[in-house]
Amino acid sequence: MFRNVFLKSVYDARRGLIGWSIAIAVLVLLECALWPSVRDMPDLKELYQSFPEELRKFFNLEAMTTGAGFLNAELFTLLLPALFLIYGIGHGARALAGEEERGTLELLLVTPVSGSRIVLEKALALAVSVTALGCALFAATSIGSLVFGLGVSVPEAAGGALALTLLGIEFGVLALAAGAVTGRRATAIALTASAATAAYVVYAIGLILPRFESWQPYSPIHQAFHDGPLGAGLQLSYLWLIAGTVAVVLCALPALDGRDISTAHAG
Amino acid sequence: METVIKTRGLTKRFGRRTALDRLDLDVPPGVIVGYLGPNGAGKTTTIRLLAGLIRPTAGSAMVFGFDAADQYDALQRRIGYLPGDFVAYPDLTGTQYLNYFAHLYGGVDRNRIELLAKRFDLDLGVRIGALSRGNRQKVGIVQAFMHDPDLLILDEPTSGLDPLMQREFRALLRETRDAGRTVFLSSHMLSEVEAVADTVAILRAGRLVTVQSVQALKDRARRRLDLTFADVPPAARIHAVPGVQDVSVDGHTVRVTVTGSTAELLKAVAPYDVTNVLSHEADLEAAFLDYYDGQEEPCSATSS
Repeated sequence: MFRNVFLKSVYDARRGLIGWSIAIAVLVLLECALWPSVRDMPDLKELYQSFPEELRKFFNLEAMTTGAGFLNAELFTLLLPALFLIYGIGHGARALAGEEERGTLELLLVTPVSGSRIVLEKALALAVSVTALGCALFAATSIGSLVFGLGVSVPEAAGGALALTLLGIEFGVLALAAGAVTGRRATAIALTASAATAAYVVYAIGLILPRFESWQPYSPIHQAFHDGPLGAGLQLSYLWLIAGTVAVVLCALPALDGRDISTAHAG
Repeated sequence: METVIKTRGLTKRFGRRTALDRLDLDVPPGVIVGYLGPNGAGKTTTIRLLAGLIRPTAGSAMVFGFDAADQYDALQRRIGYLPGDFVAYPDLTGTQYLNYFAHLYGGVDRNRIELLAKRFDLDLGVRIGALSRGNRQKVGIVQAFMHDPDLLILDEPTSGLDPLMQREFRALLRETRDAGRTVFLSSHMLSEVEAVADTVAILRAGRLVTVQSVQALKDRARRRLDLTFADVPPAARIHAVPGVQDVSVDGHTVRVTVTGSTAELLKAVAPYDVTNVLSHEADLEAAFLDYYDGQEEPCSATSS
């Protein structure tokens, strides 16, 4: 487990991952368990019709008459992406800025391992960790759908989990990059959380005000959410999430070079 | 022979504060250099510049002929580094931690780790977070030495070690030097440097005050002598000897402080009937304090 920076970083993530995976699985299964009673509510369609149009559009309420639509509105466009973002950003900020604040980054650097190599391996470990969380989500969605009859197929569940995983990775590496440049965890979290909020605002404004619809494709949130995420299938826009991730990592590779590395803040 | 460390006009400013001011330093291979100075003198700044962790504001630092400002990857693989605040990962055991770094160094003889740990009486099975400060420092020492690097850069390496371990550590330093390696260690403890270093560089407020061999420093150190005479001491004669200060007469005994050689004084008192000469061993402390006399207020910033 300690052969290189990548494996060590995955090892560090193990406990957190177990906790997060269980939490996400429980959340999804609980939500799935609600579905039968929601489905059997009389006049569900009429109830949704009575909501204002913006709200219907925002939460895609028309689709809530299907299991996939229900999960999308309740979890996959709201709570779950928030959780994936929090996990990804937290992990990303800890990856380099956390090591630097703790005083261990300088020790890693004074080895034959170069700064860019450390950035790369940390980014890979982040991607693997978020993917593990995505697998837990996929498993919980598939099982929940099967048990409570939501009718979400296995490929649909996989597509939904993939969208959130890619979203979590992209903002995770953004936090990692911000941490690599600034060396401060709090700064990395603040910057990335702001970026995520901005991306959400661009996505949400486009939903409500048609005028801004043309801006939506630039938002990673939109790239992950549109037509789904559950049931959207494999969207081409997912490639943008991957491209964004790769671009951020490439920019971050030289970040540890040419700047002063801090020593431990607290002895 | 290749100069291991060569700095020219090496300067580092943090904002408006000058931590290190135009340092010119040459370190040949196979020596132990003690880098002395009070807290905030710029010792840690120098060490971090040499390790390629921070970039100079001006001047250059060459280590093994590589510029520490931009070829640090090349030099970092050849050094063993122990930071002033060695922390490591508290959740790992000593074995796990050292294994990790052994891999990062590209392979280390496991026996060497065991041997070093045994030598310092270090239990590698304990989580680092549960170790005392001194034992944690031992993990750092093993990490710095285990891959047998050509240059060791050690920031206050003995902090937290008990006297027995300090002695063991000094023995390790000497062996390392005798194997042709170079050691650059900072300290504010004179006794530590005096006991082990070949050369002493003294730093004050970011400036290099002097570089001397320990022997030369001792030679020009102040020494206290008690001269006992059979008769009334020739105080006036003693006063006249160059280098003699603080003459006090107590009956037949004269207490003096001599800077540098005592030969002149002994020659001067030889015609008189000296019954006893008591010499208090010169220590670096006195020499060191000489360099500090009249120092400006020490700046106690983050670096030391």
